[in-house]
Amino acid sequence: MENLLMRELIQHHKIVIYLVLIGICLVPTVYALGLSPLELNIQVEKGKETEVVQNIQVSNPSENPIHIVGSVSGSVAQFITLDPQEFDLPAGPGLKSPDPRPYQYVTVTFKIPREVPETKYTGEILFTQQPVAGGMIGTAAQLGVAVRLTIGTMAAAEFPVYVNAMLAILILSLIISIIFYKRGKE
Amino acid sequence: MKKTQFFGIWIYALLCLVLVLIYRFYTGMFEAKIMEYNLSLWYALAINLVLLVTSVISLKSSKLPAILGIIFSPLSTYLFFKSWTEMNYQYLAGFMVIPVILLLTTMVKRTSITSTQPIEKEKEITLK
Repeated sequence: MENLLMRELIQHHKIVIYLVLIGICLVPTVYALGLSPLELNIQVEKGKETEVVQNIQVSNPSENPIHIVGSVSGSVAQFITLDPQEFDLPAGPGLKSPDPRPYQYVTVTFKIPREVPETKYTGEILFTQQPVAGGMIGTAAQLGVAVRLTIGTMAAAEFPVYVNAMLAILILSLIISIIFYKRGKE
Repeated sequence: MKKTQFFGIWIYALLCLVLVLIYRFYTGMFEAKIMEYNLSLWYALAINLVLLVTSVISLKSSKLPAILGIIFSPLSTYLFFKSWTEMNYQYLAGFMVIPVILLLTTMVKRTSITSTQPIEKEKEITLK
């Protein structure tokens, strides 16, 4: 029985080799992506136009060069802009290597207007890893940074004394100018 | 024309005062805390449009206040807008300086005109 099987294999050795080769090709290339931090918690005051800038470090530990595309999902997306939105990272030292990995800082800018209807906004900043040209099989991995934006209590503003002084000066100049006008007429 | 210019600037200053008082009423008169308020940029725009129209109309009568009015009109809107959006009272102070400057300019212009008028009349008499 075993001899029969061996014979069959030897007879169809070409087919077996082809099958093994196809199997090797079908194994996807392992892509990895490093993100830091993995969570962003932003709290701003209500009733004030606010701009908050945060940085996310995106690194490539894998041995393949990668192309990364950033996007934002969820209700928080309306306030966020990413810079750069797309970039390339060169090949890293490998997943197990302790050597430094190539990285890129992505600036996340939150622009929150004066009036916002909700008090909590959530979402995710997604970094989609795309293989660069030259790969045999294309795979796309995605990793995200969770974002939580909280609109807090009403903002307190500085109340300089000279604002009141300016108000008094404005009233005085209104009165004086009308007196001057009347005197000039006479 | 001078009368139009003077009253135009005076009304503009009065409107600025009213706007600031409304603003302060909504934000809290003597408190450092900002309260909910519903003022719009359109108020400031409308007021500064009064200044712009007055300045353009009276450009021939007295140039300095008119030119200053044309320059200050967009600046004033910007200052009010910044004060409103950023909740910064320094901008509001800047917004109030503009009508004061314009009123002072018209007053100085007016006094200089009235003080020079009798001398001109005297000159005319001596020439005759």
